[in-house]
Amino acid sequence: MRIGKFLQTVPMKLWLILAAAVLFSFFSNDFGLVDIQKTAIILAAGIDKTEAGFSVTTQIAVPKGSDRTTGGTSSVEIDAEGETVSDCISLIFSKTGWVPKLVFCNLIVLGEDAAKEEDAVAHLNYFLRNDYMPDSCLLAVCEGKAGELISSTSAIDDASSLAIGKLFSEAAVKSGKVLTNTLKDFAIDYYGVSKCSYLPYIRMTPQEGGQNDSQTAAGGSGGGSSSGGGQEEQQVYSAEETALFKEGKMVGLLPREQTLALSLLKGNVFTGTFNTEDGGKPVTLTVIKNDGGVSLDSAHAPKATLSLSVTVRLCCRGVTAPVEDIASDSVPEEILENAKATLEGYEEKLWELCKTSGCDVFQLTKMLYRSSLKKYSEWKDVLLETVTPAIETKVISMK
Amino acid sequence: MNKISTRQLLFFLACITPVGKIVILPALLSETAKNDLLFPFIASYLLQAAAVFCALLAAKKGLNFYELLAHTFGQIAAKILVTLYALFLLFAGLLPILEQKLFVQSVFYDTLPSLVAFAPYFLFAVYLMAKPLSSHGRVWDILAPLSVIGIAGIFVLSFGSADFAALLPVGAAGGKGFLEGTMSATAWFFDAALLLPLLGKFEYKKGLAWKGTLCYLAGGAAAAFFVAMFYAIFQEIAPNQLFAFTATSKYFSGITMLGRIDYLFIFALALVMAFYVTLPLEAGIECVLEAYGRPRYLHTGLAVAVTAVFLLITALLDYRFTEVLDAVTKTAFWIIPAFSLAAPPLLLPLRRKQHADR
Amino acid sequence: MKNVTGDAEKCKEALKKLLPAEDFLTFDFCSAGGAAFCVVFADPLTDKDLLGQQVISPLQNYRGKLRAEDVAEAIFSPETKTEKSVEKLAEEVLSGNPVVLFSDMDMAVVVGTKKIPVRAVAEPPTDVTIKGPREGFIEDFKTNTALVRRRLKTGELKIDTLNVGRRSSTTVAVCYLEGTASQKTVEEVKQKLNEIDIDVIPDSSYLTHFLASRPYSLVKQVGTTEKPDIFAAKLAEGRVGLLVDGSPIALTLPYLLIEDFQSSEDYFVPPYRATFTRLLRLFALLVAIYLPAFYVAAQLFKLQLFPVKLLLTIAGSIRDIPFSPSLEMLLVLLVLEVLNEASIRMPKYVGMALSVVGALVLGETAVSAGFVSTPAIIIIAFSGIGLYAVPNLIEQTSVLRLAMLLVAGSVGTYGIILATAFVILYLVTTENFGAPLVAPFAPVMGRDLRDSIVKYNLGSLDKRPKTLKSPNRRRLA
Repeated sequence: MRIGKFLQTVPMKLWLILAAAVLFSFFSNDFGLVDIQKTAIILAAGIDKTEAGFSVTTQIAVPKGSDRTTGGTSSVEIDAEGETVSDCISLIFSKTGWVPKLVFCNLIVLGEDAAKEEDAVAHLNYFLRNDYMPDSCLLAVCEGKAGELISSTSAIDDASSLAIGKLFSEAAVKSGKVLTNTLKDFAIDYYGVSKCSYLPYIRMTPQEGGQNDSQTAAGGSGGGSSSGGGQEEQQVYSAEETALFKEGKMVGLLPREQTLALSLLKGNVFTGTFNTEDGGKPVTLTVIKNDGGVSLDSAHAPKATLSLSVTVRLCCRGVTAPVEDIASDSVPEEILENAKATLEGYEEKLWELCKTSGCDVFQLTKMLYRSSLKKYSEWKDVLLETVTPAIETKVISMK
Repeated sequence: MNKISTRQLLFFLACITPVGKIVILPALLSETAKNDLLFPFIASYLLQAAAVFCALLAAKKGLNFYELLAHTFGQIAAKILVTLYALFLLFAGLLPILEQKLFVQSVFYDTLPSLVAFAPYFLFAVYLMAKPLSSHGRVWDILAPLSVIGIAGIFVLSFGSADFAALLPVGAAGGKGFLEGTMSATAWFFDAALLLPLLGKFEYKKGLAWKGTLCYLAGGAAAAFFVAMFYAIFQEIAPNQLFAFTATSKYFSGITMLGRIDYLFIFALALVMAFYVTLPLEAGIECVLEAYGRPRYLHTGLAVAVTAVFLLITALLDYRFTEVLDAVTKTAFWIIPAFSLAAPPLLLPLRRKQHADR
Repeated sequence: MKNVTGDAEKCKEALKKLLPAEDFLTFDFCSAGGAAFCVVFADPLTDKDLLGQQVISPLQNYRGKLRAEDVAEAIFSPETKTEKSVEKLAEEVLSGNPVVLFSDMDMAVVVGTKKIPVRAVAEPPTDVTIKGPREGFIEDFKTNTALVRRRLKTGELKIDTLNVGRRSSTTVAVCYLEGTASQKTVEEVKQKLNEIDIDVIPDSSYLTHFLASRPYSLVKQVGTTEKPDIFAAKLAEGRVGLLVDGSPIALTLPYLLIEDFQSSEDYFVPPYRATFTRLLRLFALLVAIYLPAFYVAAQLFKLQLFPVKLLLTIAGSIRDIPFSPSLEMLLVLLVLEVLNEASIRMPKYVGMALSVVGALVLGETAVSAGFVSTPAIIIIAFSGIGLYAVPNLIEQTSVLRLAMLLVAGSVGTYGIILATAFVILYLVTTENFGAPLVAPFAPVMGRDLRDSIVKYNLGSLDKRPKTLKSPNRRRLA
């Protein structure tokens, strides 16, 4: 009886205890967790190879405060050196007191040395392992030091990472001027059977006459943020070239034409342009429809077919033309022939570059693997050297 | 509320059971069976579907699990068997709870929180376990649409990133991969075992066994499609994507602008999981109550005790998921199949009427 | 129980003893036949004009036999009855009905000339509609029954009255349509009402405690309405209604949670509009409960829930705030609740000024002083508005919102998920008068879903809700 009575009052007592526990944890609010006010929101990271190991430069977003009168994002760049990337990130924490959070990191840039000298995936290992790192993050290589690129002052945006992010926009990819890659896809290619991939290659050039009373500043290797105020040279960025990777190392560089060719082969391009010639004068064509693909016939000796079909319209013609010609969208036959020759030239060069660098950027090995395990074992080591390419290019005029 | 309706049972089999199989299992299968991960997954599902069929057929006798055993083996033997079975259910329930803990710590927080962040789950578990098992029917009515919305939402957001050719070539992992994959999947396939404590709480209607099995297979088909899509998205790095259904949808283009809208679906599935992972424990308690009577204090006491034990185990095994997984799928790999695959068919020949001399 | 005797004087004494207050008056007079008459009445509750015209005047000219039936016949009132028990007579006087005593009487005569001050029938402030009837119940029981009868002109409408409350003896009418409402429910309601042992029932809300299966529950278990059209519609669906004397709020049973997402207006607009509005209400309610919680949980534990640009804006706004995100939100929420409470209780002219002070001065100043951030104010304002989309659930949802906020501030998003699981489990296991609270969703009742969140055309709603277990399910022929 007593037990029954006691049990009747238990739920109410339990609720009270529960409410007290919730209130206690609400007001104490500490499970070793880090709230927004203690967080360094890392927007981008640059990785360079140094004698000590690595140098990581992070671009951290700095809130402007509630009284801000202008939009945009302020940022501060902090760098640190260590034996591993993880060391560097920890060092950034100890320098700033902010807990670095990678959940919003949308760009990782590898310095040229880091990309060429060692397996890039070794540098990226930390990010691949990190559960909180979005693997949809964009990956790129840059000319020179990644730290310098991240710390540079953009002529077009508040933060260099945001300016570079614009280079990799959907529209830019569709123009065929840039080939983007993400951490996830790079890792898939690396761990896949081909072990080859590509990354956009960023160059930084000073904007003539452009100086900025910048809010961003590069920290030295001693670390720490430095306040802005100095007159810094503004930079513009381009990523029209593409770095080729084999087994994690950068083994070649595709110029802008071959970047376009690869984009066209991927069928990515819409409203991108390329130049050909018309009676010795340059003419620009706009791609308004693009189908492309690479196939592998492994029935006998492997044979790759690079097929490309583009529908184009005249964008700019270097010769004097009558008004009817301007009004018409159709491209004259001779220009189409020239365009075909131009594109085929791009593709041939692309194939050559891939072959010489040993980078199976077309993922032929993967195709072979997926089509036949037997053939794969037979050809996997010599595929790129033995495969004969067939280039099928079709350039159609818009009616 | 005292009975589970046929519809509720079918909802459970079709919509709730697949959720538990799309968390860590796809990554584990991709580690062992690589691009052939679908085969061990489907094989496990088919075997379990056969057991589900038998379990549902056993409901035809109109008796609960304990009564079924008692009518044939007598009360003492039945009590021993039912207690053993309850212990098995608690054993089977351990891995899903540890999985849930890892999932919560990783997906719901930006930095790794302490166990305290997961501790409130045990409060919920006590509350749930103190309710009669039959009240689950209504819970399934609510969870089924949530589960469908969650899975469908994730499908829609993920589908565009998938390259299904990644599942080729068939048979690359070989027989060893298939076997290892099937063994590692055993820890997640004991749904038929969960049905036995439900016997007597639902009415067998004509064709229920077939309907139930088909519903279970339909849920399995959705889960298999998800597993295929998961590998098609992550390919070689799939083993690294521990919490499958939280990983596939983040590449949806709208996410850049809207933020992680896929979390709405992930939260819906997490809600479903909170109930689903508690079910083995609750089913275990139900077995004991069937055998030893169900005074309120025993029910509540068992709920509190089981929860306390699991809280303790979870604290002790903090971050030892892999070891537990190895123990369940390698060292003692036979336990779960022995109970979940063998027990339901063994019930079929048991007597419906009590033996005269007992 | 003491009965009246032939001696009117003694009976008067006995009544006076039971009703010693000064506002119980007696009026003695003699009839033309020479008999002594005495009228005992409650001064504030009796219409004295009617008493004079219908009772005293005819009795002064009375020459007939001194038998209760004959005396009652001589009285010009349509509402007369005879009564023997002194206690019952005292009750009648307390209700406002005068009692006529006379010499050599066998029984006293009770006359229905009570006059209780009532307000006019008006639109209830808590249930305003743009389309549809605007009448609302008032405190007067008779007016309320009249409002119901006007809408249900059928003999099947039963209004069974009971008195509840040892001291208040409040009249409670159990209304139902015979053959439509479940007889079991009717009996159960009556039984529960009869079991109530309380001194006073000042309002119908007192009854809800006794009628609920889980009296201490946060969840509402008895339906309420102030509108006779809704009341009549619910009776027509097979529910049992309760009208309580002195209360403008009628109760309906069994209650389903979905009822509060339905408005009478939904039935006067096209079904797609009604469906949209119901979805909107549900969305608003979910936003009201979850938005502050998720905002806090995201800031504390899961920044990824914000798009990066929004995160930076929020981070900028809260940079100089001295409180943690959870405490800030709790503070703003409490201020909102205080403002809400104060503005309801304050006299109207002050309330207007207060809302201006609250919304503009307090909010704006708090933000510029750096006490709270702008996003917190926006979140709470949105949540506050959302709550009023389902006005009948405000009490429950505001508590739930606070609970969710506390959980979110303690455990984060997983806490919110678990709290939601708790709520789901609690709701699905709550039943009252045999009806599951969250029907037709759990358990799913296919046909009943036609008038749930989705509203079908009236032609498709041909059957009464299965949940209510009506013996006559067909509505449309």
